[in-house]
Amino acid sequence: MKGTTYVRIIFFPFLLSLLFLSCKKSLLDETPLSSLSTDKVLSTKSGFENYMTALHQAARDEMAQKDGSTYFYIMQAGTDVAAFGNSTIKNTDYHNLLTPSASAVEWVWDWAYKKMLLRANTIIVYAHKPELSHIWSNDADKNRIIAEARFFRAYTYNMLANLYGGVPIVDTIYSQPKTDFVRATREEVLDFARRDLEFASQWLPPTVDKSEEGRIVKAAADHLLTEVYISLGNYDKAIASANEVINSGLYHLMTERFGSEKDQPGDVFSDLFRDGNQNRSSGNMESIYVWQFEDMTVGGQGETNGNNRLRNWGPWYERLKDPDGKSGMVVVDSLGRGVGQVRPTNYFLYDIWQLDWDKDMRNSAYNMRRVFYYTNPESDYFGQMVEPKTSEIDTMQNIYPYPRKIEGNVGTLTHTSTSWAGRTYQDFMVYRLAETYLLRAEAYLDKHDKIHAAADINVVRARAHADPVYPADVDLDYLLDERARELITEEPRRRTLVRLGKLVERTRKYNIREITRTSIEDYNRFWPVPQSAIDANFSAVLEQTPGY
Amino acid sequence: MRMNTFVLSWQSGPLYWIVAMLCLTTAAHAQTGHPVSGTVQDEDGALPGISVLTMPSKQGTVTGADGAFTLQVSQGDTLVFRGLGYDQQQIPVDGRRFYQVTLKKNLTRVGEVVVVGYGTQSKRNVTGSVSKVDMKALEDMPNINISQAFRGRVAGVTFKDDGRPGQNGSILVRGPRSLSGGNNPLIVLDGIYYNGSLSDINPNDIASIDILKDASAAAIYGSRAANGVILITSKRGTTGKPRINLTAFYGLASRTKKAKLLSPERYLQKSMDARDQNGIDYDPADPTTYLTLSEAKNYEEGKVVDPIAAVSQQARIFSTDLSLSGNTDRTNYYLSGSWSEENGLVVHDDFKKISLRANLEYKVASWLKIGVNSMFTNRDQSGIPANLNVVYRQSPYGTWFLDDGSPTQYTVTEDQAVVNPLYESYYTTNLHLYDNLMANFYTEIDIPHVKGLTFRVNYSNNYRWVREYEYQRQDPHITDANTTSASKRNWNGNDWAVENILKYNRRITDNHAFDVTLMYGVNRTGYETTTASSQQLSSDALGWNSLELGALMTNTSEAEETFGVSAMARLNYRFKERYLLTLTARRDGSSVFAQNHKYATFPSVALSWIASEESFIRSVPAVNFLKLRASYGAVGNQAISPYQSLSLASITHYVYGDGGASSLGIYPSNMSNADLKWETTYTANIGVDFELLQSRIGGSIDVYHSDTKDLLVTRILPSMTGYNSIWTNLGQTNNQGIEIALHTVNVQAGRFRWSSDIVFSSNKNKIVHLYGSDTNGDGKEDDDVANKWFIGHPMNVQYDYVFDGIYQEGDKLPDGYQPGFARFKDLNGDGDLTADKDRTILGLSAEPDYSWGLTNTFTYGNFELSVFVNAVHGILGSYNAFDHFDHNLNPIRPVNMIDVGWWTKANKSNTVPSLTYMRSFVGHSWYSDRSFVRIQDASLSYRFSEPLLSKIGIANLQVFVSGKNLATFTNWLGTNPEVNSSYPLSRPITLGVKVGF
Repeated sequence: MKGTTYVRIIFFPFLLSLLFLSCKKSLLDETPLSSLSTDKVLSTKSGFENYMTALHQAARDEMAQKDGSTYFYIMQAGTDVAAFGNSTIKNTDYHNLLTPSASAVEWVWDWAYKKMLLRANTIIVYAHKPELSHIWSNDADKNRIIAEARFFRAYTYNMLANLYGGVPIVDTIYSQPKTDFVRATREEVLDFARRDLEFASQWLPPTVDKSEEGRIVKAAADHLLTEVYISLGNYDKAIASANEVINSGLYHLMTERFGSEKDQPGDVFSDLFRDGNQNRSSGNMESIYVWQFEDMTVGGQGETNGNNRLRNWGPWYERLKDPDGKSGMVVVDSLGRGVGQVRPTNYFLYDIWQLDWDKDMRNSAYNMRRVFYYTNPESDYFGQMVEPKTSEIDTMQNIYPYPRKIEGNVGTLTHTSTSWAGRTYQDFMVYRLAETYLLRAEAYLDKHDKIHAAADINVVRARAHADPVYPADVDLDYLLDERARELITEEPRRRTLVRLGKLVERTRKYNIREITRTSIEDYNRFWPVPQSAIDANFSAVLEQTPGY
Repeated sequence: MRMNTFVLSWQSGPLYWIVAMLCLTTAAHAQTGHPVSGTVQDEDGALPGISVLTMPSKQGTVTGADGAFTLQVSQGDTLVFRGLGYDQQQIPVDGRRFYQVTLKKNLTRVGEVVVVGYGTQSKRNVTGSVSKVDMKALEDMPNINISQAFRGRVAGVTFKDDGRPGQNGSILVRGPRSLSGGNNPLIVLDGIYYNGSLSDINPNDIASIDILKDASAAAIYGSRAANGVILITSKRGTTGKPRINLTAFYGLASRTKKAKLLSPERYLQKSMDARDQNGIDYDPADPTTYLTLSEAKNYEEGKVVDPIAAVSQQARIFSTDLSLSGNTDRTNYYLSGSWSEENGLVVHDDFKKISLRANLEYKVASWLKIGVNSMFTNRDQSGIPANLNVVYRQSPYGTWFLDDGSPTQYTVTEDQAVVNPLYESYYTTNLHLYDNLMANFYTEIDIPHVKGLTFRVNYSNNYRWVREYEYQRQDPHITDANTTSASKRNWNGNDWAVENILKYNRRITDNHAFDVTLMYGVNRTGYETTTASSQQLSSDALGWNSLELGALMTNTSEAEETFGVSAMARLNYRFKERYLLTLTARRDGSSVFAQNHKYATFPSVALSWIASEESFIRSVPAVNFLKLRASYGAVGNQAISPYQSLSLASITHYVYGDGGASSLGIYPSNMSNADLKWETTYTANIGVDFELLQSRIGGSIDVYHSDTKDLLVTRILPSMTGYNSIWTNLGQTNNQGIEIALHTVNVQAGRFRWSSDIVFSSNKNKIVHLYGSDTNGDGKEDDDVANKWFIGHPMNVQYDYVFDGIYQEGDKLPDGYQPGFARFKDLNGDGDLTADKDRTILGLSAEPDYSWGLTNTFTYGNFELSVFVNAVHGILGSYNAFDHFDHNLNPIRPVNMIDVGWWTKANKSNTVPSLTYMRSFVGHSWYSDRSFVRIQDASLSYRFSEPLLSKIGIANLQVFVSGKNLATFTNWLGTNPEVNSSYPLSRPITLGVKVGF
């Protein structure tokens, strides 16, 4: 009896541990409890849709990931159309603005390689896997996914080539560390983008359902292809590619009032930039590719909580004093809360409208805000018009005219305090038909065909009720004037100027800050490669851009 | 019959061995006489393992667990009682049959019993490098967190914390070795892995802390031991009579150093100088031209705020602890409860803790014991402390409060550069609770019929819960927007471990003895967490309890688990009780590694020679004890998160179309590594332990050399790969160092005694290999600049341009520079400042050159004064007070700064740049030496005499007053050189009492 007790007591723990022994093998095998893996997700068609959605989210991050350092800040200010409102020399002095450790320089590079190219290449590599061929109903099915990913890849390389010049071409995904990247030439990068876009143009759908608005359509690929062909010097193909969009029958410039505020005071140009009027289903027949923002929905905002155009272009009027020296303005919904980072130059605010000041719809009171009223109920000047200001501190950042495209309904999600950061939830048109016309005009101009160039520019001018331009007056500078009138705040102005080789020349001519005009150097046409990328790439020399 | 006296069971205590050795030589003699018995005790109770010898008849035995002994004596004999750690006592046999003997503790430390993992050993017999924390020295210190005990007191162990109430701090044993894997030591609580917070363990419940430092000592915990092992043993009952102990203390704390912000006058000067330097007009007579309107109003009304005072509160500390313990024939018990409260120096930085412990052991039969060590702790860290990150930037003319007494959102509302540090603290309510329940159940069996063979099973389970709930209520001053939000985060961690331990003790002949320990175990650590958040609640009446009131709700959840399987064998062999050998091997499997690299084996060997047992040294009277140790072995590191070898994907969202629903996006988030495996550290250690001059001087010196290979590294990748970094094994690091621990009795005269404890450690760390590549063909292995890793240099260095003063007017300026900008050395003299040629290693960024600690204890009668000085030398910290654009805030804006001055045309500083200087040309930081010497702890205590107390039924009574962080000597400009944090270091002065019944 006693013996059996011993046995029981001694052997129970042994049995217990045998239990663990027996499952030892599986015990150490890992299956992540709360993480997915690419191999698993990309084994079904819906998995590819998920990966595509993440790619769209990354693309919108060009604007909505980080405040300040990127798109609507660096892409616009320090050029011919805008100066930095903030006077710190870090921004205004080109020696400080563009350095290998500047955050914008690093941010754009990392965004391109770690987000856009990684996600696009993952989709492209997996979609080509023979073992997954069974998930596609046909080639078109598979190629549409590949085409959309290749569009984004081309979009990214076009941007890199126009900011940095030649960059390393990454066309695959890596499963182990690689530290010997080298720069390809700018032409090689653009040519790589061209091949992606030619494929994309072939396989992307002409339109998408309302529930899929924001997805890439064929015209987006053709539009970008036009730009890339121009950059490669292939003007005939550029024109042909633009024709694919213009002659598709799917698009036309809007000439009649439409959309959410069509019954309110305004004009058709202002309608293009009212809330809810960017997607095709709103009746907007000129939008081609639109970043989607949505208030009060998960995934509708990005990390910066929405469209930050108003925040960066809008004046910091809250700091404006009334003539008594007291606070004249408080934040109001209709003006949002700007911080005056991007201050339009006189070139944009005055010079380019001189010939058509009253006629050009784009300079109407609905499209340019040139008059302000004191908003502080406690000021004796409440409701009165703000008289013109001349002191630099006021008019560089606190009060200045601006294009009203940037205005929109301030979202309820960030509208949680007086500090709401001035973002809207207005969708953003990346490409619209007016630019396609101006790209085709550029291609004609490059071919010295001023007649056709003028004709295309005049399509855009006609819609704005501006006088037509004579072919003899059309040159690259005129085209840039027209792009400013039509596309200010929409086109990434810096990228356009770099592409056309005009950044340095026109910044010296039109920027309103002396330090900016005098500090910009010829080598500033292209950006430096971030030092972090050079440091980590120690097995090969990633050449720094000359001059830096 | 006689031999039974010397058959030693392992749990009777290792002191047996010494006695056995002394006695065996005499065992063969036949003897006659009569039996006597007795008990041996010290001030704390029964003493097991004391050798009892008769002289000259040379009979011998040792006392049992209850301190009792029985042996044969002859007429004329003297009983000699000896035990390491006690003064020898001789009692002539006088015809009594029963002897009650009380031994007095002596100064020696070699007699201490140390915990070595899966058992205990006499310090005398330990072959590896093991340090014991002197718990006695800490008794009079008001420690709420036991980790504070490590600071500067143990050679080779560093502890750092930022001084905030309830924070855990970090501990390093012999410096860091892993580049990116964890460097935290393994904590073993009552024999079982403990992954919880050290601050959850009540310091008053701890009986001993032992630290295993070299490979041989740590190898029994092979897989997790690369960073050292801290063994914590909780208290047990020691006296037959139930014993009640009460400890309580209360203290008030002040700030050790206040950051020097701009005074109001200097702030005005800064605002004007910044405008001067930026070419902006202002009128010195009209403050509205250089201050904001609201600042100018406060200026004119003479309203000034000291931002640091505005976020400060009276700091206090309070703790009380009650315990009941005892040891009867069958039951050993220790029960305790404690309650602590601490208010930090910053508003709403408060902390409360309740901890309970029950340790029970029951002897079911002579061969069977069962027991449990259990604890429960609740830590309450609710409350949102004032936001310290923005305090230094607050204008002295800011408006902090509205008329109704509530804080403003921005102290300078027109600018909104920095939030009011009190705003969130005021409008957000938060509940932040940590619960920790741990129990270790064990059974111990002396296997019948096989003498010396025992079997033990440990099963432990540790549940930890974190509840983090908060809601922000509506700011009533904002009428056009909903400012409410609420969230609940629940985190549940569960770890368990099962271990089977088999031990066998055997003495083969007089000269040969060995013990063997075998262990097999399985363990799991894991957690799951769920966070639910809600924004724009339609009512804030229900706080976080009804998240569905929100207009936008989001949920996230996460889970992770790690499994380990281990087998271990250890052999201790002793020849002639002076030549000692330990062999250890451990095989570990861990789930965190790649499929084919789950398992690794870690062997070690240690040799030890107790030289003082040799006759030629025994004859040297100055040497009481001398032991030489040498060890070599391997231990592993698995301190990475699970799933790192796999390719993982993350989640994002996007919304197509207008008014559509969220679409799920998935993207690859890390690069897989099918070769990810164990990091292994090979350590050679040579040490000497000694007691000299009647134990007036004792101590240990250890010298070690360790190589860590296959380092677990999160290596930064070029962004062109698509990823930030990857977990990988590469390269090799080397640590070598010396550790000295000395205990001296400087003066012993009558009732006065002065003793000192000195620890010194210096660890030199360097990177030996990284990627093994030489891509530039210069014949040297490539450094990794992105990670600041350089072959032949320590792992943590400051690498930057070399500051070379300030450009003055008239100097030749590079493009874009102005007078007042920082100048850097053109190291290679090519006329250009370039990242690859002009940056260099400036100093050590994290680990010191050397550190030392000195405790002086003065005893006079019942008074004891103890003063502990702690010092760290040779760390170069980055200190950005010189960066006037800290946080990218332009000094033109209404922002304050630490007053280190600035360059102006009138005051041409050569150390501080102008107010327009941003670090934009070169991303240079500012550096300053963080070396310090600090009077860390001082305490004065008085112990009431026993005769007095026994009359009123009190066993002991002691009162003490103590202070921490009393004075710091340093050149560092920040508030605390020990950690680079803006949190102010407090100086608590505490009054306490200890009573025992």
